[in-house]
Amino acid sequence: MKQNFLFQASNISKYYGQNIGCKNVSLDINPGEVLGIVGESGSGKSTLLNCIYGNLEVDEGDIFLNDKSKTILNFTKISEPKLRLIQRSDLAFVHQNPRDGLRMNISAGGNIGERLMAIGHRNYGEIRQIAANWLEKVEIDVSRIDDKPSTFSGGMQQRLQIARNLVTRPRLIFMDEPTGGLDVSVQAKILDLLRNLVRELGIAAVIVTHDLAVVRLLADRIIVMQNGNVIEAGLCDQVLDDPQHKYSQLLVSSVLQV
Amino acid sequence: MNEMSKNENLDIQIYNFAYLDENTKRMIRRALLKALCIPGYQVPFSSREMPMPYGWGTGGIQVTSACLIPKDILKVIDQGADDTTNAVSIRKFFQKTANVAVTEKTSDASLIQTRHRIPETKLKEKQILVYQVPIPEPLRFLEPRETETRKMHALSEYGLMYVKLYEDIAKHGHIETAYAYPVKTNGNYVTDPSPIPKFDNPKMNNSPAIQLFGAGREQRIYAIPPYTNVKSLDFEDYPFEAMKANFKCSICGSSDSYLDEIIVSDDGKRSYICSDTDYCKEQTKLNSKKED
Repeated sequence: MKQNFLFQASNISKYYGQNIGCKNVSLDINPGEVLGIVGESGSGKSTLLNCIYGNLEVDEGDIFLNDKSKTILNFTKISEPKLRLIQRSDLAFVHQNPRDGLRMNISAGGNIGERLMAIGHRNYGEIRQIAANWLEKVEIDVSRIDDKPSTFSGGMQQRLQIARNLVTRPRLIFMDEPTGGLDVSVQAKILDLLRNLVRELGIAAVIVTHDLAVVRLLADRIIVMQNGNVIEAGLCDQVLDDPQHKYSQLLVSSVLQV
Repeated sequence: MNEMSKNENLDIQIYNFAYLDENTKRMIRRALLKALCIPGYQVPFSSREMPMPYGWGTGGIQVTSACLIPKDILKVIDQGADDTTNAVSIRKFFQKTANVAVTEKTSDASLIQTRHRIPETKLKEKQILVYQVPIPEPLRFLEPRETETRKMHALSEYGLMYVKLYEDIAKHGHIETAYAYPVKTNGNYVTDPSPIPKFDNPKMNNSPAIQLFGAGREQRIYAIPPYTNVKSLDFEDYPFEAMKANFKCSICGSSDSYLDEIIVSDDGKRSYICSDTDYCKEQTKLNSKKED
């Protein structure tokens, strides 16, 4: 096992009864690295993401996180309180639909502040200041701090969700189709924002998407999945420019050109 | 003896002492003991159908019934008053089924069942205060899933509770929550003090009396043992404040007891009186003594 890795999953398998969710998947992520997971619908991308985040229990395999104090934790072995603590401090999860990741009936400031309060912040002024700073970072007008996310546009909601997740400075962020369901110009804006934040803060990320343009822009390395199996893995440009597996070739060639 | 008089004689014996049968009382006492051992923890219990609807204090009545002994002196209050419908009917219920002595004086009572208030007179050791609780789960309106809230309690994940207070300040400039103000019991479980005004919250802290909470419809019992630390949640820069209307009682003149606002005329004239009727009477007596 390498010593400087941030996150490692080895031989993860998840079955839904007789059906395969994902099978024998291994991956590792170095600090500050962005990993893309691509594949068609039903290929097991989201299952894999939920497994390695700790949301779904895996049937086989181990998941390791090299935490802030350089201790290597095995997700499949640690207690639930510990796992939940890690999920809200070291890790973060951005859902495809901001409604799943936000509290829609709580103001934008409260949404950003929740993770802070969950790890023990008890000073209202401070929490509010941090929330305002983060709104600025994700390009939402600070005057909207007391508005509910339900009054925001889809793109703003997604940016708010990103702010809410990054506020506690996680070291690894999981994103499930972060730009799915948004129109192209808003997508571009969010991708740009994500790229800047990830680079600036040195956060590692795992991005699940079916959009190859998204991984081209953000990811350092990608893995390609089909039917729950990893069929190709490598550097992003290498896989996209010179796909070896016939499914990867199909995937790359089916991107529409303008 | 004819049929009629037989039934009359049976009137008391139709019911077991304090209405519930002994096995049920045992079940409730077991839940109460567990609740006292884990302050603030909501213990499930198998709540019984009572001869009155949910929302009339069936949880409190079951707890009272399980605690009553023949030499108890019972006081029942509703919003602080001894003479409101809920208080009168519950008091009558126990007079009839347990034949216990009743009182309106807080200091004389050994068991006090209450709805929405803690008496102004300081409680003593060997007194039991039984609260009627509509919703025992302080996180209910923030997180509707019971499976999730139980987990949150178990892991002390109370960030969400603070989000509610945050929202209050963001919206109103201060913590607007005025009743059922969440507390942390013994530094561990966040607890719903039942809908008492937050003015009463400090009285829960370090109280010499036993505090028992019964929620009948929700089938939960929880408790605060005597001399337990009970802290109202707050922010460093927005500390907890016990609030009351800034007036004097128009009957006894007291300015330190919790007041009810009543509208006394058609053109909206207002008057304020003590919500604790027993305290108000005591103060009036003291005042007239002074005048003498």
